[in-house]
Amino acid sequence: MCGIVGFLNKTQNSNAPVGKTVLTMLTALGVRGPDSAGVALYHPPENGAFTLQIKLGELDGAAERGTSIAEGVKAFGSVHEVKTTAEYLRLVIDLRGEAIPLTQFIESLDEDIEVVSMGRELEIVKQVGTPQNLDETHSVSTFRGTHGLGHTRLSTESRVDLSHSQPFWAHNYPDLAIVHNGHITNYHKLRCIYEQRGVRFYTENDSEVIGVYLADQLSQGLGFKEALDASLTDLDGSFSYLAATTDYIGFAKDPFAFKPLLFTETDDFVAVATEEIAIRAAFGDGSEVREAQAKDVSVWQT
Amino acid sequence: MADIICDGKTTRDINTEIKRLIADGKTDIRLRNPGARHNLGVAILQPVKLTFNGSVGYYCAGMVDGPTVGIKGSAGWGLAESMMGGTVIVKGNAGNGAAASIRGGTVVIRSDAAARLGVSMKGGLIIVGGNCGYMAGFMAQRGTIIVCGDTGEAFADSMYEAVCFVGGNIAELGNDAIIEEPTEEDLTFLESTLSQHLPSTDGNSQTAIRNFKKVVSGRKLWNFDKDERAVWREAL
Repeated sequence: MCGIVGFLNKTQNSNAPVGKTVLTMLTALGVRGPDSAGVALYHPPENGAFTLQIKLGELDGAAERGTSIAEGVKAFGSVHEVKTTAEYLRLVIDLRGEAIPLTQFIESLDEDIEVVSMGRELEIVKQVGTPQNLDETHSVSTFRGTHGLGHTRLSTESRVDLSHSQPFWAHNYPDLAIVHNGHITNYHKLRCIYEQRGVRFYTENDSEVIGVYLADQLSQGLGFKEALDASLTDLDGSFSYLAATTDYIGFAKDPFAFKPLLFTETDDFVAVATEEIAIRAAFGDGSEVREAQAKDVSVWQT
Repeated sequence: MADIICDGKTTRDINTEIKRLIADGKTDIRLRNPGARHNLGVAILQPVKLTFNGSVGYYCAGMVDGPTVGIKGSAGWGLAESMMGGTVIVKGNAGNGAAASIRGGTVVIRSDAAARLGVSMKGGLIIVGGNCGYMAGFMAQRGTIIVCGDTGEAFADSMYEAVCFVGGNIAELGNDAIIEEPTEEDLTFLESTLSQHLPSTDGNSQTAIRNFKKVVSGRKLWNFDKDERAVWREAL
């Protein structure tokens, strides 16, 4: 049992209080997942600069790892910001070259380091604990932008730590993030296929494969909606998941409708959540809410 | 008339207050700002009126016997699950498993119902003003499901003696579900039932009533017959 939420501001206001909205929805779903909480938020692009949220690791020596990253990344472009918050290093950089070699370099510095998110708009923060804890650490509620995803986790199989929490960034595909409620039962088979192609998996969490899968589909030229549609046959098990890029936010529900997910849309916003309680907490009683049907895929342009 | 303001209260607080008001002899209770909380108004065994002025979460009015429950918003999963008697009316949409396993009473969903509507019902009446999702009526033993709009796939799968009526399209019939010609008695029942419970829809006009399809069990799965192995292979 997990709680997932998604929010899109439709009013062309790229400075909407997305962090506050996602956090309010997530807090209402806190009881569905007391293990960890996380958000994937999208801000307007800042002249093409990339923002990276980097996990420095939970063991001793995080400060040293932070320093070596800050030194090392200077070779890749002009660094606008290096800031450490709890286990995270936030890096804003104008890249001279491709984005992926930068993340590979950062992760090569120490095995405890993981680039949790990278993109021109995307930022992910997640940690063990409640949505309120997450806000206290990362001031999520002050984040302004266009759209976002959120997740509260009740772990059923893999371990409870920062890396196994959600949202997942689809590593090596900038700006693509997912949140998932359910179980992907052909996870091991899919993981094996991707590992043979050289894809690195960072966790034992089956949800991670959804991001890898979507990144693969998008890389092959499928549109965002086409990729989500294709997942209905390629992923087995129970899933309601949300995915987002800079341009789209959408959800897919498995063919048996095993997991809850409902949504509401007005002229001003789209909100998607595991339970209506999240929508009522954030938006009051006004809008009509509808449970997504089995095999539903819905996509909105941001 | 008694009011319960739900703001700031837990589900347990609210349900305790409902029971206290009923014990005090109140028969018309309004609940304001339910905020889609779960498990509201469960196990009410008296013929009282409960009205929620907003949406409710999971399992609202579960295991009730007798009350008339009105929901002005939408309802989450397991609406009126296992109810014995009474009436539950939802103005908006209902989530998965609405009226699952009911034994009696009436559940009216004015808009749409999601997946697994009325699965394993053992009696009672379910009316959906709009569409219903996947696998409605699965293994229903007795009772009636009326869907004025369209149904999802696997409709009326593996039913026993329940009867379904559908005003719109059936995406796909479930295993052993067959379409039967409605009798004059069926049409009279549909007309009176719909005009009683869905007065604002046009479902009760003569022509629309005549368009309803009746779905019942083909009874091929009731008893195992080794000569009909193909039927079982398909069903299982």
